[in-house]
Amino acid sequence: MIKLENVTKEYPGHSVALKEADADIAKGEFVFLVGPSGSGKSTFLRLINKQEDPDDGRIFVAGKDIGQLSSWKVPMLRRNIGSVFQDFKLLPNKTVGENVSFALEVIGRPKNVIKTQVPAICELVGLGDKVDKYPHQLSGGEQQRVSIARAFVNRPLILLADEPTGNLDPQTAIGIMRLLDRINKTGTTVVMATHDRGIVDTMRRRVIELADGLIVRDQAQGVYE
Amino acid sequence: MALRVDYIAKETGNNLIRNPSLTIATVLTVALSLSLLGAALLLQRGVDGLNTRFKDDIEFIVWVQPDAAQEQIDLVQRSLDESSSVSDYRFVNREETFTEFREFWADSPEVIDAVGPDELPTSFRVVPVVPDLALVQALGSEFEDLPGVLKVDFASEYIKQLNDFTNVASRVMIGAAIASALASSMLMYNTIRTALFARRREVEVMRLVGASNTFIRIPFMLEGLMQGLFGAAFSVLSVFALNRALRGLIEKTDFQLLDSFALPSGDLWQISIWLLVAGTLIGFIGSGIAVSRYLDA
Ligand SMILES: Nc1ncnc2c1ncn2[C@@H]1O[C@H](COP(=O)(O)OP(=O)(O)OP(=O)(O)O)[C@@H](O)[C@H]1O
Ligand SMILES: [Mg+2]
Repeated sequence: MIKLENVTKEYPGHSVALKEADADIAKGEFVFLVGPSGSGKSTFLRLINKQEDPDDGRIFVAGKDIGQLSSWKVPMLRRNIGSVFQDFKLLPNKTVGENVSFALEVIGRPKNVIKTQVPAICELVGLGDKVDKYPHQLSGGEQQRVSIARAFVNRPLILLADEPTGNLDPQTAIGIMRLLDRINKTGTTVVMATHDRGIVDTMRRRVIELADGLIVRDQAQGVYE
Repeated sequence: MALRVDYIAKETGNNLIRNPSLTIATVLTVALSLSLLGAALLLQRGVDGLNTRFKDDIEFIVWVQPDAAQEQIDLVQRSLDESSSVSDYRFVNREETFTEFREFWADSPEVIDAVGPDELPTSFRVVPVVPDLALVQALGSEFEDLPGVLKVDFASEYIKQLNDFTNVASRVMIGAAIASALASSMLMYNTIRTALFARRREVEVMRLVGASNTFIRIPFMLEGLMQGLFGAAFSVLSVFALNRALRGLIEKTDFQLLDSFALPSGDLWQISIWLLVAGTLIGFIGSGIAVSRYLDA
């Protein structure tokens, strides 16, 4: 589903963020990206949905070389990749339901689809009774659920999560991981960058470890270190 | 992709009212610059009208001294008859001149009372063959030196002066219009940039979930377009108002020459269309630059 071939990314004026990285992630896999701060985890994720372009190497998503993608097709790529972040990126002036429907509205999905999908997905993430609340009326864990609902409402092939539990207490984090696990079980490939040792060690999924932009470990059913 | 008209209308509307003072400032600068442009076009049309109207009208007047002898008048007349450059002329006698004089000074009876018909000069209204200003002036001065001739007036000279004045005026106005159009484009650019900044979170989310570039841009482009159009609409109003004021002024002065500066409404509508096009362009250019600068990353 995701394949990196010899990928190098250098930010101008900074050291190399990702060096000659090779990785092959199959459909339906759940992968943890671990490594110290600044090791290139976020860069790895941003390359997959073309928020950044590599300086060298090739990246394939669903068999397509995304380096060859013309700029007007990038939105189509992103419709197949959901993104979740540490800071949720919710729109404060929209309710839960509006935040989720926004993702469908702006890609031109018909109204009747939105009407049925949004309540269903809010139910799935456990926020069926909070559809009309605003983000500031929710706990951190609930806000992250909203952002996961928004990322997943278009049923993407891939879900990228950049430290989704970074701002949450351990108990809440476990709830979020259960949710991501459930989403993974529907066949969605999940790639998650994290510093959370406990989660990685409990879930025992594939672990890719980065250090200074180099992939130093790629282990099935791995642990944090 | 289905174009969601309701969504776009809502977003454009929200953008327009999010920052009312900036929106108003932008609309007003567009209105100001286009009003200047409109006034310049109005003047230009007036001059064009003036020129066509007076093209084959009286070109100069030979005034004869009130106390000129009949032989002197006959001499002038003979010279006119003989001149191959004169296509036509008409003698205006004392009574006719006095009637004109009375009409002209109708508001001031004391002037009329003070002047008797005998004190007024008679005149020849001469139409030259070639209505070229230089030729007409040369021709006119030939008659200036004839005995009994008071002076030669060139109608075309007044027209030329008026022409020169309005040309300069309309050039100045067009210059000012261009300068303020540039200013309003820049203001537009800043307004749209501000709107983009205010909506950076939405834009970020839209990009992440795969909204098309067109979809993200349309509300911002439309915002600029609407502001340009609103400004243009104001300038259309001011052009109509200006024309109306001019008409009132001209009617009051009773100065025939200026008639062509009060334009028929057909001309006004034509100018209005130009102003609306210009407003649309200002909006399009200003917002287009802002959107491509800040969304093509
Ligand atoms: N937009 C950017 N411009 C310049 N340099 C950047 C940019 N983003 C990241 N970097 C640099 O690239 C390197 C890798 O950054 P990245 O964000 O991928 O690390 P990370 O593993 O996600 O770190 P963290 O765990 O702190 O989130 C760092 O040295 C960082 O300073
Ligand atoms: Mg990071």
